[in-house]
Amino acid sequence: MKHSISIFWRLKDNHYKIYVTKCRDCGKAAAFKRLRCPHCGSQNVEHLESRGLGELINYTVSYYRTEGSEQYLPRVVGLVRLDEGPVIVGEITDVDPNELSASTRVEAVLRKYSSDDPNGLIYYGLKFIPIIKR
Amino acid sequence: MRTYVVGSGVTKVDRHYERNYLSLINEAVNKALADSGLDISDIEYLVVSSAFTDSILNQVDPSTYIAQNLGFRKTRALTVSSGEVSGAVALDYAHALIRSGKARKVLVVGFEKMSEYPSWIINRVYSKILEHEIEGIKNVSPPEYAAMIMQEYVRRYGVSREDIVKWSIKMHENAVKNPYAQLQFNISLDLLNRALRISEPITMLDSHPIGDGAAALLVTDESITKKMNGALIEVVDIESSVNLPIYLRDDITYFSSTAAAYKKISSKNEIRLDKTVAVNVYDTYDIYGLLIIEALEICGRGEALKCLDEMPYLNIGGGLKARGHPVGATPLYQVHELRELMSGSSWVKYDGEISLAHSMSGPDNNAWLILLRRWV
Repeated sequence: MKHSISIFWRLKDNHYKIYVTKCRDCGKAAAFKRLRCPHCGSQNVEHLESRGLGELINYTVSYYRTEGSEQYLPRVVGLVRLDEGPVIVGEITDVDPNELSASTRVEAVLRKYSSDDPNGLIYYGLKFIPIIKR
Repeated sequence: MRTYVVGSGVTKVDRHYERNYLSLINEAVNKALADSGLDISDIEYLVVSSAFTDSILNQVDPSTYIAQNLGFRKTRALTVSSGEVSGAVALDYAHALIRSGKARKVLVVGFEKMSEYPSWIINRVYSKILEHEIEGIKNVSPPEYAAMIMQEYVRRYGVSREDIVKWSIKMHENAVKNPYAQLQFNISLDLLNRALRISEPITMLDSHPIGDGAAALLVTDESITKKMNGALIEVVDIESSVNLPIYLRDDITYFSSTAAAYKKISSKNEIRLDKTVAVNVYDTYDIYGLLIIEALEICGRGEALKCLDEMPYLNIGGGLKARGHPVGATPLYQVHELRELMSGSSWVKYDGEISLAHSMSGPDNNAWLILLRRWV
């Protein structure tokens, strides 16, 4: 997959940070910065930055090989309920799948998503790891 | 104006390494024309559906090149691309042309060449059905959602993961009787532990195969069907609805866009599905088949597995699981199979007046329904 600098630069708020779109009309929230509320269509929304903490609510250990993913397999993909409420999809990394469970507390960390060839552009973005107790 | 399917033809779904897309389409078109008694020069519109030709074949707007290569000299030609529901959208376009009186004879052609590259490249292409800027860029793939949905279904309804394979076993039983199905063999539960893992707990036994195929439907208004004998198959209505992405849904085991589309089409046309009505649904993964027949209100929530043995006309062609899934063509394969069933040329006899084809892109992201009726 060829990588685009401009596409990824525009997406930096959704992949270097986590934002929640909160609707001032219907009161619902959704992960990612959005122009309108996906639930009611209102443009009366505000964007709040998430702390990047949440709870794993579902996950799978994936062996599905796609171009560029070979070195990351098997990988864990899951649904995380952010402490701010909405659910976000993402990869759970740096973890033994046998030690995971739905309800594991997780935090967002910056990791490599992919590169377009061994010497090409690299996309970095947020994945999740089990919370490190400090 | 009413819309009728007066001819249809398909190729075997397979890895057709030796044939290009034009060859597959030519076979399907020839069958549909022979079936209808019409000639290629009669066709007013050529509506082509394909999901991935730009990515796989490096070809945009294949309709132009199909028309140029296959002798459509005076035909209007266009391409419809709408992910996994491309074929249903193409038929809807043809339906609108007929209903509005803008055309009387429209050829709808769907195709996909999925076997041109190794599976890991095709898997990347197929994953484009999800939202690139959010899911694709993170390498989230369709079977990973299917896996999480299956786990939630098992947890919520207390069914066993092994029970869900009953769907796939039934699909393979049907595909054995379908000469153009890709996987014409039976499977059994004892294969589950040895099946290739895709995304836990989804295995090859739960998933559609990768394959090529082409399908053609010739649709006309009643001015053409007046001269025809035998049962007529009408496209009564086509409806659809869009869902939220999986991670924004309150309940990932409920396909609410399928349910919403069904509510629209059933109330408008005063029909109700039950276990004896022929339905052809998008079992991209076996768990999706279960969720669809629940969303179509054929079975209660969490009860689909109990219904399977009572549904003799469920995916009679073997479904996506075993007939295969040449993406841009799949909804047209579904309609072809239902037309054969309703006109008495299928392997099973069906007396019902209506049938329904269901397709969707991704896990119910965009669901489409095609309602057919038989007129004798």
